[in-house]
Amino acid sequence: MILCVDPAASARERTTDALAAAGFDVAGAGSLSAARDALDEHAVECVVTEHDFGDGTGLELAATVRDRHPDAACVLFTETPLDDVDTDAFGSVVAEYVRKEDGDRGELVDVVEHALAFRSQTAYPLPDDEAARVAALEQYAADPAELGASLDRLTELATALFDADAAAVGVIDAHTEEFLSCHGVSFDPMDREDTVCTYAILDEDVTVVEDVQADPRFEGNEGLAAADIRFYASAPLVTPDGAAIGTFCVYDDEPREFGDRDRELLSLLGDEAMEQLSLRRRVRDAGGAGDD
Amino acid sequence: MTDAYEFEGLPLGSIRPGTTVLVVGPSHAGTRHLSFRMLSGPPDEGSILVSTNQRAGRIADDWARSGFRLDEDRAAILDCVGDDDQSVPAQVLPVSGPSDLTGIGMRYSDVYRTFRESGVDRVRTGLFSVSTLLSFGDLKTVSRFVHTLVGRIDAVDGVGVFSIDPGMHDDQTVSTITQFCSARIDVRETESGQELRTRGIPDQPREWQSFDVQTE
Repeated sequence: MILCVDPAASARERTTDALAAAGFDVAGAGSLSAARDALDEHAVECVVTEHDFGDGTGLELAATVRDRHPDAACVLFTETPLDDVDTDAFGSVVAEYVRKEDGDRGELVDVVEHALAFRSQTAYPLPDDEAARVAALEQYAADPAELGASLDRLTELATALFDADAAAVGVIDAHTEEFLSCHGVSFDPMDREDTVCTYAILDEDVTVVEDVQADPRFEGNEGLAAADIRFYASAPLVTPDGAAIGTFCVYDDEPREFGDRDRELLSLLGDEAMEQLSLRRRVRDAGGAGDD
Repeated sequence: MTDAYEFEGLPLGSIRPGTTVLVVGPSHAGTRHLSFRMLSGPPDEGSILVSTNQRAGRIADDWARSGFRLDEDRAAILDCVGDDDQSVPAQVLPVSGPSDLTGIGMRYSDVYRTFRESGVDRVRTGLFSVSTLLSFGDLKTVSRFVHTLVGRIDAVDGVGVFSIDPGMHDDQTVSTITQFCSARIDVRETESGQELRTRGIPDQPREWQSFDVQTE
């Protein structure tokens, strides 16, 4: 959903109409507090905001968006001249800027369309086949309860095999990583920009991060520190069509090495977990066909 | 689709509009010269250069020495250092500093718009350098900025030339920044001169090739 925030009702309506005409699902808000409520209620993928709200600014709102929906595209669409926008205090927010002139919404629609199609405001690189990858994941989406104990057995085996603290199987959708099985650790869904797996699915081989704290990609990552993760290794879960939809990972609370044989074994576990997901999909597909 | 971008005088084939190239090399004359040359197109193209660590006056001098004729109608410098020098033959736009990535991105969008309104549709964009941004901000924030700017350049069918000094960063950092760009050129200095090697540019040899550093 696109959230369009503008204190002037007529201008807001013109913007929401233009974006809706371009095929987007759009909601409007006339104040910063209404916008913050909407951020809590909806899966917002883009925020188009004016700058001056009297009790705050569009960049303050963008900072809130980065906190709640980090991948969302932020576009400052404003009549305020750039010289009057204090960007310095919000230097790490990063947002697009489109000057609002008269009734023209063409440039704004172009910027929003591109930012959403290419998801160009994420803080992490995307796989080349990202759209196909997310579509493939939907076909394999499995209810963790439905998977029963099959993945749990694999993560328990992995923990013992590698003498590691924990192991997990995670799948990565457009914005979050969700865990189908955890052993020795418990993860809620995590923002994609905060997970090591986000980077691991870019590599077709096993990924090893011997010391997570020494890796600049995870500097200041509170989630990893809170889970006491210092070592990470994972094998990608790759569909028969080549889409990496998730990972089979092992973790430890100390930096360590991971030899060639370990990599081979982890890769086998990843293949086995993917096989389980494929089998569930086939069973589901067969059941669906029988119902017709 | 507009025509590909050409790089006269360099051992580089044409580059598809929408491409951003990461130039990876030590911050000596060779890397800078190559980056300036790539940013300097024919008279009907504009150029926007984000200068993170050098004043507009100094960077305009270096750019001119690489053979580019600066002109306010088609050259803009986003100056993160601060320079009131009115004699620079380019639009000079102030940004509060290299940690203000939001400000750099918004100034960029604004100046691109002025170019387009004056009929300059083809624009080359330089970012010299990502290394400075990384010394003022964390990798995650700089990644988001680089991704957004690469996306903007793609959206307007421009071409981007971003530079990074691999000696200042670990491999993970350079690799992550590379993943946002669609092409990469490595630069090295040998006893016989400067050499470059490309990745992600069609119809280019995969071996090291020498290039000339000539200043006017």
